[in-house]
Amino acid sequence: MDEQKLIELAQKGDRKALAELVKAHEQTIYNFSFKICRNKDKAENTMQETFLSMVKNIKQFGGQSKLSTWLYRVVTNHCLMLARTESKHTADSFDDDDLLIDEKNIADWKITPDKAAENNELKKILDEAIQKLAPEYRIVFMLRDVEGFSTEETASMVELSVPAVKSRLHRARAFLRNELNTRFNYART
Amino acid sequence: MHEHKITLKTGLPSCKDVMEHICDNLGEELNSPKCIEIKSHLEKCDNCQHYFNSVETTIQFYKKYNVELSNDAHNRLIEFLGLKE
Repeated sequence: MDEQKLIELAQKGDRKALAELVKAHEQTIYNFSFKICRNKDKAENTMQETFLSMVKNIKQFGGQSKLSTWLYRVVTNHCLMLARTESKHTADSFDDDDLLIDEKNIADWKITPDKAAENNELKKILDEAIQKLAPEYRIVFMLRDVEGFSTEETASMVELSVPAVKSRLHRARAFLRNELNTRFNYART
Repeated sequence: MHEHKITLKTGLPSCKDVMEHICDNLGEELNSPKCIEIKSHLEKCDNCQHYFNSVETTIQFYKKYNVELSNDAHNRLIEFLGLKE
């Protein structure tokens, strides 16, 4: 059955249709939530809250966007709420933009991304690097660069202007690249 | 003609400009004169190519690092939502 039909049934209270919609999107939402939280328990909790919002509000879903886009918006809000209750970061983690890019002696990374999925040491480095980034920047990086939404869609999801998204994206990219550069011992002094 | 050349020369991007541009605009389809100059610099400059590759690799790492939802977590979700048959 196509998704539109499932949504219509779910809006009429069909629990089986709701369960089908959950099943269709749970992996994506859990994965995205993990990418923001970097913790499986928190990711599961955020996923549960996201789908609870879906179940409660499915009647209000008007179909202007895809259900997946709507769910990304909801999970983004839940991730930000969770981060704000426990965050050590502030949105202004970058005191000096000039320090983010040092144009001298850029090393040629010999490492390739192919083995990321099965390399636990690399996963640890990736987790630690991104956890240094404030959640407001992490979410923009994940939506735009990792999930592939356009800058405009990302701006709409996080309720920021396009220039504000671009600014956060710029800083997130430069910051993460620098962190990995240091952890891979490519940084030169 | 001479003036035009001077304008172009003084406006040529530096490595820092190119790296800033990479962080600003990666993934955007841009064809402004500035972007064309940036691309031209990038093609000739090893340093900037290394920077571009390292930013792209950073993104690819995070793209490829995924986690799978376990059956237990799926069952807990369905139960949590009250959708268990």
